[in-house]
This record gives sequence, C-alpha cells and structure tokens, in this order.
Amino acid sequence: MTGGRGDPGLLDSMVHGSLGWLEESRDFFRLPPNVTTDADPNLTLKPLGELAELTQLIGVLHPRDEFRQTARGLFAFAWNETRDGELFAELIRGEPFATYPVELYGVFAQAGLRHAEADALVDTTTRLRGWRVAREDHTRTLGVLNAERRIGLRQHADSGAVLALTGLGGLPEPWALDRKAAYGVTHDVFHLTDWGRNRQRLSPELAGYLRLWLPSWLENWLEEQLWDLAGELLAVTACLPQAPYPAQAWQRLAGARAADGSVPEIGAAPSSGDRAEAFTACYHSTLVTAFAATLARIASDEAEAGRPAGDTAMAGGRTSCESETAP
Amino acid sequence: MAEQTQGAVPLSAVIADAATGVALALRGEGDPYALSAVLRQSDALAPAAIRVLGADVLAPYAMDLPGAPAGGDDAEVVHQALTSFPPGADASEVSVWTYRGLVEASHTLLSASARDWPPPPDAATGWVDADPWPKLSHRVSQLAALALPGLAPGLAEQLTARTDDLARGFVRAVRRRDWLQAAGLGRWLARLPDAPESLGLDSGLAFVRHMGGDDPRVTLHVVAARRFYGRGW
Amino acid sequence: MVTDRTAPVETAALAAEVEGLLEPAEADGVFRDTRECGGALLLAALLLISPPTPRPKTDVR
Repeated sequence: MTGGRGDPGLLDSMVHGSLGWLEESRDFFRLPPNVTTDADPNLTLKPLGELAELTQLIGVLHPRDEFRQTARGLFAFAWNETRDGELFAELIRGEPFATYPVELYGVFAQAGLRHAEADALVDTTTRLRGWRVAREDHTRTLGVLNAERRIGLRQHADSGAVLALTGLGGLPEPWALDRKAAYGVTHDVFHLTDWGRNRQRLSPELAGYLRLWLPSWLENWLEEQLWDLAGELLAVTACLPQAPYPAQAWQRLAGARAADGSVPEIGAAPSSGDRAEAFTACYHSTLVTAFAATLARIASDEAEAGRPAGDTAMAGGRTSCESETAP
Repeated sequence: MAEQTQGAVPLSAVIADAATGVALALRGEGDPYALSAVLRQSDALAPAAIRVLGADVLAPYAMDLPGAPAGGDDAEVVHQALTSFPPGADASEVSVWTYRGLVEASHTLLSASARDWPPPPDAATGWVDADPWPKLSHRVSQLAALALPGLAPGLAEQLTARTDDLARGFVRAVRRRDWLQAAGLGRWLARLPDAPESLGLDSGLAFVRHMGGDDPRVTLHVVAARRFYGRGW
Repeated sequence: MVTDRTAPVETAALAAEVEGLLEPAEADGVFRDTRECGGALLLAALLLISPPTPRPKTDVR
C-alpha cells in the first residue's frame, strides 16, 4: 500500500504564506518585561512556545531549504526571546510546581539549547512526589512526559498507561467527539509521535482507527469552518503510515487563507484593523497550517518515492536518519 | 372542485402514525399488525403514506411470527399506492429505488393475494461507486426500508464495498444531529457484514434512538435494526 | 369519507409532496459543543499549554 500522492505545489504555497506571515508578525511574539510575573502566559509564553515547537520541526524536516532557513530564523528568534534560556530559570523559580515552564523548556532542550540553572531546577522539581500529581488532563500529561523525555529526565509516569486513558487511547466512538474531544485526540497524536517526528509510535490499532474516522472529522470541521482544528486533523492525517492525501480538504483549507498568508481560526479572516487582535485571531491556525503542510509534504514525498512511511524516526534537532532500504 | 377531506391532517402526520404502528409491531407490542388497520383504505392519504414509507409498511409481515398473514385489504391499499405514485420519467434514484423496494416487498410478503403487481423498475446503481461518501450516505439513509432482510440484494452487495464510508456517514449525521439520517444509516450498517467495530454501532443506535426518538421514523429504523439484525440495545 | 382521488390538481400536488418526503434535501447541521473550558467563543488547540486563548466576544458566530 502506498500513501496518497499529494500536491507539493499547494502544500509549499501554504508553508510559504504561513512562514511569511509569521516573519512579518515577529513583534507580536515578543515577550513583555513582566512575562514571568503579571502577564497572561496564554497571550505571551504560549504563542512563543508554539512558534518554537513548530518552527524547530519545519527548520529540520521540511524538504525545501528556503523554508528551513526561514523557520530556523524564527526558532532562533524564539530562543533569543528566552534570553538564552534564562527565562526558564526565572519561570521555574517563580512557579516551581507548574508544568508549562517544563513543557516550554523541553521545546528548546530537544534542539540542544539549554540553560544550566534551568536544568538544575527541573532536575529537582520533577523528582518530587508532588510532580506526579496530575495538574491537568491525561492529554496534557502526555505532553509533560514528552517534555521530560526531551530534557533527559526520568519520566514520572508510564506513557503507555497514560495514553490508554486519553481520548485517543480510549478509542471512543467516532461520533462521540465534540470540538473539545477532537482537539484532545489531535494533541494525543502530537505528544505521542513527538509532533510527527516519531510517527511509528502510532500503533497499528491507533493508526487504523484514525485512518477510518479522520475523514468524517475533517469533513465536519471543515464544514464548520474551524480551520484551526481542520489543520490539526490534516497534520494527524499526515502522521499515518502510508498517509493518505485528502486533496479536497487541503483545497478547502487553502481557500480559507487571507491575502497576507494568514489562516483564521474560524470562518472568515477578521477585517478589524487592530493588528494585535488580528494576530491573536490568526497566529495559532497559521502556525498549524505551516506545520500540517510540512508533515503532509514529507508524507507526499514518501509516497512519491514509494518508500514505506513511518518506519524512520526523525528525532528532534537532527536531520532525517538513514532510511531503511525500500522494499 | 373536490375538496380535500383530509386537509386537516397533513401527510406527515399520517406517515408518523403509520411509522409508530410499524415500530410497535416490530417490538412485538400491541395488537397483531394489520396494515389496513394502520392505514385505512378509506384514508385518502393512505396510498401516499405507503409510498413514502415504502417496504416498511410490510416489515411486520417479514417477522417470523405466527399470526394473521397479510390480507386482501393490505394488498389493495399497497396496490393503490403503487399505481398512484409511480416514479416519473425524471424520477430521482431514491424515488425509483424506494418504489422498487415496495414492489419487491409486495411480491414477497403479499404473495397470497392474487394481484398483478407492477414489475420492479430498473434501478441504477452507478451512484453507489461514484458518490462521495457524504452524498452516498445521505442517499442510502433514505433507502433504509430496503435494508429489510432479502430486499435489494444487488444493492446490498454493492453497498458492502462502501461500508466504511457509510460508517463515516453515520458519524457525520450524528454530529449534525440529523437523527433520521443517522438512524437510516445505522439500519443499513446493521445489515451489512463488516460495519467497523470501532464505530460502536450498537451504542450508536441506542444513542440515536434516545436523541431522536420523538420522530417515529427514527424509532422505526432503530427498532428494525434490532428486530431483524439484533443490533442496538 | 371518500374523496375523488383522481382530481388532477390534488394528485399532482400530492405526488410532489410525496417526492419531497421521499428525498428531502439535507437539513443544515446543528453543531453543538460543550461549554466547558471557559465558555470561550473559540475553544481550540491544546497546542502547548491550552487552547487558543479565549478572546473577548466581539461578535457571535
């Protein structure tokens, strides 16, 4: 079985547009002076962390050098905003029992970017019995476990056991997914596969389940014009072995793009002139689009080459490993 | 100009009542089923209601139960439906197939009556392969009466190749809260051999019944899936 | 009471109604989601920390 041959031209244009918009929007990702004290982490650290996560991946794995360069520049910018990691020492000292500083730090640590004091702090805080107490849901715990792995810490729980408790591992009835549950499933896949770097971690059972039901979820959330979620579902699709290429879905997502290369989260692009508002309304889905189109491009190349997909680990921070000889 | 004596009772209400009667019979409740009791010949809208419900008006006769078989009155009113509402030259696929289903069911279940039944019309199946799955699913849900055992064997065989797509249609219908579509699809999935396990069809049928059971046609589909294929709780 | 079922106008109208009931056009979907997670207009991605941040409602979808 071979995967679906994609449309590299379309996929590349989406990465190009998204990266271009992200470049133009750098200033909105900058951290304010009160980022570790009064600022809302959801409006500051979260966007920066997401930018870092996905540009790191694109910077290593996208087949086209010009996209890798742009992405690497954005990733370097993100690291710069953390003041070479000093931010994490401050964050952890300020909120030693919160998981998000560790999750954020892991994004950079996987690429070899570390801060000595932050390392020492996380080494202590993540050994606490208290650290094993789940602060959020199981999906989030998968993310924390992934961060621990990236940093080189001992994982505080068995990821297989946690996975079984998630919306993905529980293999729910596909018609029982609402928006919240659908986002849970996409993130379960991202944490499990390290954002598509280790697609083979998807078991055949989970892959089969996703292959069956992704088309119905995609169809639904495209109809609702939730481009953000649709993009994530497309990213998940690209993680499947012999990944199919849902051409119509990609075309619909492409149709949602604004002229400036951004993709709105829902519906039509905001017409508000307020640039900060426009940023908040678009940055997430624009990032997701770049991410999904990168994974889909990789999957499409694999299908083109006739190689079996999903049997090559593409660890963070390194280029693709030697692939096995195609059968 | 003749008046519509049944103008006060809309066709949809007549259909709903008939569906209720059929579902009751399929659950083994109420008096022994007689179509002519549920839809009286004297009711001007009876043939129209029969045409819409199609083969389902005869579904209780397909149960393996002792009791009065279909009688001459039943054959009369079904025959009236078939002669009054044949598919026109530009009839849709659904119109042709539902008509064909009623003809087939009449041949099988009203065979005791000596009637000249119309021949089953030729019904195209190209759409089964060609339709994208959302459209296919919507169409198939409207042909749920043909999911009765033994009806439309050729169609059933072709649909088998698209079982996964029909399951996707079920998911889509539930999400849209289109309970009638979901119930119709669930009923077909109950008949097809390889409905995916992960769909949770039994729970799905029960869910649809509780969410959409205000509509007697929804109830009919779910009850039929249970009665004839043992699916759903 | 028996009506004249062969009256052409009634028959045509009834036939049309029958066809419409046999194959109604698909209704618009009614999409509902839980209101959990802050009742945000945009309940969305748990990309890193949490879903895209709830914004003040400026318009209703």
